Amino acid sequence: MTATFISIWIFAFALGGTAIGALIWAVKSGQFQDINEGARVIFDEDEPEGVVNDRFPSKGTQMNETSAP
Amino acid sequence: MKDSNLNIVETHSTEPVNENLVVERVFEIDQSCRQVVLLWYASAVFWLLAGSLLALIASVKMHSPGFLAGAEWLTFGRVRPAHLNTMIYGWASMSGIGTTLWLLARLTKQRLVWREALYLVAIYWNALVAIGTIAILTGHSTSVEWLEFPWWSSIPIAVGFFVINIVTFKMLATRKVDHLYISLWYLFGATIWFPFLYLGGTLLIHFRLAEGMSMMTANWWFAHNVLGLWLTPIGLASAYYLIPKVIGRPVHSYYLSILGFWTLAIFYNWAGTHHLIGGPVPAWVVTVGVVGSMMMFVPVITVAINHHMTMIGHFRKLAISPTLRFTVFGAMSYTMVSIQGSLTALRTVNETTHFTHYTIAHSHLGVYSFYTMIAFGAMYYVMPRLVEREWISSKLIVTHFWCVAIGMAMYWIGLSWGGIEQGLMMNDPDIPFLDIVKRMVPYLYSRSIAGTLMTIGHVAFAILVWKMLRREGEWLTGPTLFRKTPVAEETLTVEESLTQSVSK
Repeated sequence: MTATFISIWIFAFALGGTAIGALIWAVKSGQFQDINEGARVIFDEDEPEGVVNDRFPSKGTQMNETSAP
Repeated sequence: MKDSNLNIVETHSTEPVNENLVVERVFEIDQSCRQVVLLWYASAVFWLLAGSLLALIASVKMHSPGFLAGAEWLTFGRVRPAHLNTMIYGWASMSGIGTTLWLLARLTKQRLVWREALYLVAIYWNALVAIGTIAILTGHSTSVEWLEFPWWSSIPIAVGFFVINIVTFKMLATRKVDHLYISLWYLFGATIWFPFLYLGGTLLIHFRLAEGMSMMTANWWFAHNVLGLWLTPIGLASAYYLIPKVIGRPVHSYYLSILGFWTLAIFYNWAGTHHLIGGPVPAWVVTVGVVGSMMMFVPVITVAINHHMTMIGHFRKLAISPTLRFTVFGAMSYTMVSIQGSLTALRTVNETTHFTHYTIAHSHLGVYSFYTMIAFGAMYYVMPRLVEREWISSKLIVTHFWCVAIGMAMYWIGLSWGGIEQGLMMNDPDIPFLDIVKRMVPYLYSRSIAGTLMTIGHVAFAILVWKMLRREGEWLTGPTLFRKTPVAEETLTVEESLTQSVSK
């Protein structure tokens, strides 16, 4: 039983340690600097801000019309 | 075609399109995920159908006990856990891993690593879920909820989780962007912590390291974490990527999103013991769970504010984007299910709702209305980009959405209402138990009807996915024009005319 408890504690501390480690790493490596720019990393020239890029596959929607061959 | 597309882009962006970048993203990054993610997704849809069938059988048995009562492997005690496990380890986990791999590649801006291994792991995973489900149906269930697969099926699944874990680390180490987008944090939370939780949970339960009430404590600590540290982060990662991406607007407050992640990481794994309210465990064990559940208000409110504020002014786009429609439905359900969950964790509320249908309604609001709807949304976005074809029919998508949305609403309202009545009646010692059973029958019928609607939606979705995999849709064009180079465009026109002539 003691072995079980010891392994559970080691396990718990190791996992909790990863969280604390990740937080420290994030602060040190500047992940939280310039924080609002981070929100823009998902956009690029092909899928830019301000453009809807998903729609129903029907013929009538405006997105299809402007780019239909 | 090319010109008109460039026009769209230019009106919104001052910078010219960098063709190399587009080609890199589409051909290198998206295409590197193609076979792997499609296999995980297709398997997920198979388990969704299997799980729906098992769910329907279980649901009908609740109001018509004679239904299929002759076959011992279809008794309620086997069908119901088989439903739960195929949905969690088959549908939810496999669709989640598919989305995770695609998001990892896109957000770290590099090709997916270990593709062959991930392909093999998908096959291995399918085999284990199949073996485990058959084991449950043939009476080899462990009878520990959420871990019913016998150890020889359950523990090997951990290998699959650890492969995903290592892939995540590799992708993180070789990433081509400095900044980790918020979705990546959620995905790391899921893929780095959950494999250990899974291993810990399965070892504690299967090797009887924890017995009696400590087994139940381990059981609910684990089971709640399947939702809290596996499905929830994957669902939120997907929503945090897809909502801004589809409407073309950055997240309302990036600061709040990061606060939300860290508070979820700190609080969610404490919440599991609220399942043991009223049970013979030390009071503090339950109190820890109740406090953890109440603290969940912090991450939930940050996510709710963030998604709502991002969507404000863009709600009309729900009409044109299937992805957005499913994802926003899921995101709203996340707020609802979490607030409901925190309140249900209070001892005073739990006194009435514990051991009633209310709990079943609540868990479906979490795994279905929140997680599954977001998984559908992600699949509607990802699959056309991998196969480079359109979805075959808007009507089927609309059918899918309304069947599952109405089905889910009916399911939740019926069982929540019924569950509260049931709880109040059970707390009144003057009411004979059989009266309560009879009182619940209409609600149980409503559950079967709701389940049938949801299954019809799943069949519509399965048809769409099948046609997508068979590449029967139109070539993908529109704002995300995948083929930019003149050479590629020629092939597109040829192929397109071919498909058109075939369809005629």
